[in-house]
Amino acid sequence: MAAKKAGPASLKLAAVLDLNEASNLHGKLVSMRGSDLRIDASGVERVGVQCAQVLLAGVKAWEEDKKSLLVEKASDAFQKTMQLIGINNQNLVAKEI
Amino acid sequence: MDMNEIKEIFFQECEEQLAELESGLLKLNDGDRDPETVNAVFRAVHSIKGGAGAFGLDDLVSFAHVFETTLDCVRSNKLEPTQDVLKVMLKSADVLADLVTASRDGGGVDESRSRSLVKELEALAHGELPSSSGHDAPKPAAKAAPAAAPAAKVEPPKPSDDSGFQPIPFSFDGFGEEDEPAVEGSLYEVIFKPRRELYSKGNEAALLLRDLSRLGEMSINCDTDALPALDKMDPEASYFSWKISIRTTRSEDDIRAVFEFAEWDCDLEVKFAEEASSNDELPMVPVPFDLSILDDSSSVEEETANERGASEETVAAALSAAETASNVSRAARVAEKKESAAATAAAQNNAAAAAAGAGQTIRVDLDRVDRLINLVGELVINQAMLSQSVVENDATGTSAVNMGLEELQQLTREIQDSVMAIRAQPVKPVFQRMSRIVREVADMVGKSIRLVTEGENTEVDKTVIDKIAEPLTHMIRNAVDHGIETPEKREAAGKDPEGTIKLTAKHRSGRILIELADDGAGINRERVRQKAIDNDIIAADANLSDDEIDNLIFMAGFSTADKISDISGRGVGMDVVKRSIQALGGRISISSRPGYGSTFTMSLPLTLAVLDGMVVTVAGQTLVVPLTAIVETLQPEASAIHSFGANQRLISIRNSFCPLVDVGRVLNYRATQANPVEGVALLVESEGGGQRALMVDAIQGQRQVVIKSLEANYTHVPGIAAATILGDGRVALILDVDAVVAASRGQSMKPEMSLAATG
Repeated sequence: MAAKKAGPASLKLAAVLDLNEASNLHGKLVSMRGSDLRIDASGVERVGVQCAQVLLAGVKAWEEDKKSLLVEKASDAFQKTMQLIGINNQNLVAKEI
Repeated sequence: MDMNEIKEIFFQECEEQLAELESGLLKLNDGDRDPETVNAVFRAVHSIKGGAGAFGLDDLVSFAHVFETTLDCVRSNKLEPTQDVLKVMLKSADVLADLVTASRDGGGVDESRSRSLVKELEALAHGELPSSSGHDAPKPAAKAAPAAAPAAKVEPPKPSDDSGFQPIPFSFDGFGEEDEPAVEGSLYEVIFKPRRELYSKGNEAALLLRDLSRLGEMSINCDTDALPALDKMDPEASYFSWKISIRTTRSEDDIRAVFEFAEWDCDLEVKFAEEASSNDELPMVPVPFDLSILDDSSSVEEETANERGASEETVAAALSAAETASNVSRAARVAEKKESAAATAAAQNNAAAAAAGAGQTIRVDLDRVDRLINLVGELVINQAMLSQSVVENDATGTSAVNMGLEELQQLTREIQDSVMAIRAQPVKPVFQRMSRIVREVADMVGKSIRLVTEGENTEVDKTVIDKIAEPLTHMIRNAVDHGIETPEKREAAGKDPEGTIKLTAKHRSGRILIELADDGAGINRERVRQKAIDNDIIAADANLSDDEIDNLIFMAGFSTADKISDISGRGVGMDVVKRSIQALGGRISISSRPGYGSTFTMSLPLTLAVLDGMVVTVAGQTLVVPLTAIVETLQPEASAIHSFGANQRLISIRNSFCPLVDVGRVLNYRATQANPVEGVALLVESEGGGQRALMVDAIQGQRQVVIKSLEANYTHVPGIAAATILGDGRVALILDVDAVVAASRGQSMKPEMSLAATG
């Protein structure tokens, strides 16, 4: 879960991204700023709007920093929730094809 | 917690909601057009309906539903809340209260009344429904058909701009067989803005949206503008809001029902919109596929490969489409930005106001509070005993001990005040009940009367509140029936045909003052005097001041109404009112100006648990005389004492004679009469307004005492209202002044005259 020293850092999202996880996730993202980030969403089973808010804010922050932030291996639940709530930011729904 | 307890809580809440409802309606009646007031009223009825539904109280639900529907028309500005409309609404609130009471206590309600009100309400709801205006969407989907032509313009696109949303103009046929069976149906537009509370209460916007998507074919636009930068955001706040268009065969109510539990924690707008999708400036993301995966985490495995493939396609398509459409929408955004900023600010203001308005409360069993109060009473007594024994045993006066004791004394006093404050309740509920009585009685006697209340938030002990309602009701009925004239008479007298009754509460020197003023005809002194002579209350040639005549109405067996009406004058007169007020340790007086109205003033103690008393000695016994009864104290001189009859004595005070009552003799503390010159006379005001001089041996001082009921611990003692424990640990009796005065006149002491001393 922690950022690696070299290369793009990676972050594996928790299975349940609910209200309780939002602060946690926010903290992690804030601490990882400044380097490229790959987010592994493969294990996500449930996404709440507040975590989506945090992720989207993260995407914007990374854009500002001119670093790359990619969501990989998004689980179905992750993708569908994003679509359900109308978030289709490329970075957030991007996945390995 | 069993069902009955839950039900009990529901009824308690109902009472609060009803109070809210009534005060809201009255505010509207006074011209308040704040949408928040309308919302509060609506909310109250809605909550009652919801709870009643859970308990299967069908009568209540059906009436509340009709009421709610009409209120909804007001809320959506379809129905102007005029005086006439509000009259019906206020009556409906009364019926709703009756239904709640009937559901709780059993018993019936006036069916014909509620039925006719249902009709009136329905007429209001339907009568003014504009048949063809796109924005005033008629409620059910059935009516929502193509009538609403101008809807194409799709409501001012609210807070949707920047970045977050991209249009996805593809259709997605062949999926979600179960979810959107009908391509036809009506198109609704939903604006959903959750507030922070929605999340903190455990609701999840995503789940609400999922439920919504099941109603039909849905497209969504997420407005992410409000989202601040990562380092500035509060991860638990709410930034996203949505604009959704949904094509469904269901009704608007069904759509609202999805948000039912979150309704008060979000801004929700549901609008009927005809074929608007094509000219919609805000393209949306369709949410067409099976979302069962989101139902719960365990279902992940059950996903079929087929569906997975499908969703991947969706996303891929969405991505490509997103880019093209984002350009289109960008232009529209700029114009909307200002509007949206204003809207957001307003929403935030509302939320803040709502948060500030609702104080945090808990519900506590009254018994527990009473036990606490009792214990604090013991603490106060104990503290007094402790300091007294320290003072007695420590002649040198060790300063540390004394200082500690002083602090302890302050603390106990503070604790006592705070505990008393727990029992203190605003008089608001009682006042609100009065407004209903005014309405009903005024209706019955064909008068038009407005009740103005002031100082509803004045707090007083709960026991006082409970016991004040009845005499107050009686006086209000009197004021409406006898006080205020008929509209014709009022007009003839050059007054506003609508009468005003003013009910005020305020704190005055440690007591609560309740004033009831009407602007009616005032007391007809000639008639009162004649009546008193007819009823042998006064001698025919008695010479009475205006004030004395006014006070005659408090005498037993007095009623000036020529005819016995249904409302007042049932033989229960103002004497009963006066008795109940006095039983509370209070006083009542009247002042009246012919032609301008009468004012009744009641002064009541704030609490029945403590009492300010004068500690006196009578024949070696310590007694407490309630300070409220005492007018003045004086040292009699031999020249002022006059004998009268066999063993009566009078004392002359400022050229008037006042009967002297030897308390020690009346209570049988001593066999012979004491010498007045050796004692002190307490001039007290007794029942009926007359003054008496109570003779006691000496005054020890004034003290606040904790009232202990004699009845509860021993048995009633004539002439004694209650007991208390003094600082030295001895029990002192609290004198029942009226009973003692009555006994001195040779009447037996009436047990019902005792102070209602149990707190």
